[in-house]
Amino acid sequence: MLEVKNLNVSYGRIQVIKDFTFSVGDEAIGFFGPNGAGKTTLINSIIGLVRPTSGEINFEGQSLLDRETHQIVRMGISVVPQDGELFPIMTVIENLRIGSAYIKVAREKTSERLEFVFKIFPILKERAFQLAGTMSGGQQRMLAVGRALMAMPRLLILDEPSVGLQPSLVTELFEKLAVIKTEGVSVLLSEQNVKQGLKVIDRGYVVENGAVVIESTADDLKNNEHVKRSYLGL
Amino acid sequence: MESISFWKKYKNILFLILLIVAVAIWKPHAAIYGLQRGSLYALAGLPLSLTLGIVGIMNLSHGDFLSLGIYIVYMFSVNTGMDPLVSILPVFILLFLLGAGVYKLTITKVLKAGHLNQLLLTFGISMILLEVMNLIWTSRPRSVYVDYASSSVTVAGVRFGTYEFLYVVFAIAVLIGLQLFLKKTRLGQASFAVGQNPRGAKIVGINTSFVYLIVFGISVAILGIAAGVMVPRFAIFPSVGSSYTMKSFCLVAMAGLGNLTGILISGIALGVGEAIVQSIPGYAGWSDIVFFGVLIAVIMIRSIRRPSL
Ligand SMILES: Nc1ncnc2c1ncn2[C@@H]1O[C@H](COP(=O)(O)OP(=O)(O)OP(=O)(O)O)[C@@H](O)[C@H]1O
Ligand SMILES: [Mg+2]
Repeated sequence: MLEVKNLNVSYGRIQVIKDFTFSVGDEAIGFFGPNGAGKTTLINSIIGLVRPTSGEINFEGQSLLDRETHQIVRMGISVVPQDGELFPIMTVIENLRIGSAYIKVAREKTSERLEFVFKIFPILKERAFQLAGTMSGGQQRMLAVGRALMAMPRLLILDEPSVGLQPSLVTELFEKLAVIKTEGVSVLLSEQNVKQGLKVIDRGYVVENGAVVIESTADDLKNNEHVKRSYLGL
Repeated sequence: MESISFWKKYKNILFLILLIVAVAIWKPHAAIYGLQRGSLYALAGLPLSLTLGIVGIMNLSHGDFLSLGIYIVYMFSVNTGMDPLVSILPVFILLFLLGAGVYKLTITKVLKAGHLNQLLLTFGISMILLEVMNLIWTSRPRSVYVDYASSSVTVAGVRFGTYEFLYVVFAIAVLIGLQLFLKKTRLGQASFAVGQNPRGAKIVGINTSFVYLIVFGISVAILGIAAGVMVPRFAIFPSVGSSYTMKSFCLVAMAGLGNLTGILISGIALGVGEAIVQSIPGYAGWSDIVFFGVLIAVIMIRSIRRPSL
């Protein structure tokens, strides 16, 4: 589905992503790595917010390199950015509706999608007419995920969705991700909370200093010495 | 709850009506003249608010596009005998194309270049427009005469122009039109979203470059509406619109970004304030100081009394 080959990304003279190769099929994959490893940069390159210096990015056989973000999103990739990027002076329901309004296939199914999103996140239905900017941090995270789902993506990208959430909410959010996965959506999850992340992903990549250091299935990662020591605190 | 939000929403409008009524009792001429003139300021200010709030560009050539629109209306009148109010439609379209063209050729290049470069660029466009108008039409003042524009009535001993009420009508019509556009159309909703969060807009599939282009084009086009209503009452010369750049900016600063109704309210309030000063014998020249003085006062009060969301 998504194939990234030998990707290099620099900000000015500093190279942040180094010869990075990975793929996502009909599965959920994870990027695990410390602050500054380059997870957000990778995600931004996929959705066209950052331009790589070299490499290939193909989605369902088509290159994404020369496409604008809105075109990439319309091809079926949705992202839940690290900082939400919601519309603060629109209501919850307006934020959700806008998630499908500019994507043709999704627009025709807006009411169905709304029901689907409300079923997963009942809080969004309760707060439908509250301004997004006045929602709590956790609620905004749910809204950001809901808005991304409105677009009926085939690939859902989440950038550190657990940051700043209380532990019970993190567990809840990952349970919902597991539900979303069963809807046939491929997932690319960037996380520092490796323990929780491992519960939903099928395969994962450990990213350090912009390069892949380990690539493995979820089960192997759980037992990997480096992962245990550096990320699971065992 | 209901009544509180009602109060909050209409508080400013009520204050404005009270202000006009109070001034009307004291100085009826100033109230009416201020209402008319202030609406014209609002008509010019609304599109600036749009470019500043959505595209994020302070367009220093705003007033010069207004002058250009005025000359185009003049040309229609001279060459085809078209009534200035009728020519609003073709001028709207012409200015839209011109605005979009200038945007595409120049402003897109500096969107990421920082505010100073943007200011310099639009200042340059302002100078070029001004010089081009000077070259084509010279600085000799011109005018277009239409008989209905000089009608006036006398009520209770106060004489005032009736044509100028068109400023009020057009300002309200443009305000309502813009609000319908932003709330009810897909492109308008996209613009509203882009104004709040351009990155967020991109990731929901909005073509932000296209939104910027259209919004800039519409903003310049709306100046064509102002031009059409102004021509019958104004002497036409190349810098006729120049002062509207800063006046429009004042209105945006007073109203706050993204508050279109506030532009109309601020415009009328400043128009009335200006008219009062002008009506005091010997102090007419102070009116501009009032305009900017009120602006400074409002901004200072607002920063003391922090706004609540
Ligand atoms: N716009 C930018 N300009 C310059 N350097 C940047 C920019 N954005 C990110 N970087 C640098 O690139 C590196 C990778 O950043 P990135 O945000 O991709 O990391 P991350 O893995 O998402 O980290 P975190 O877990 O903290 O979100 C960091 O060293 C960061 O300082
Ligand atoms: Mg990050």
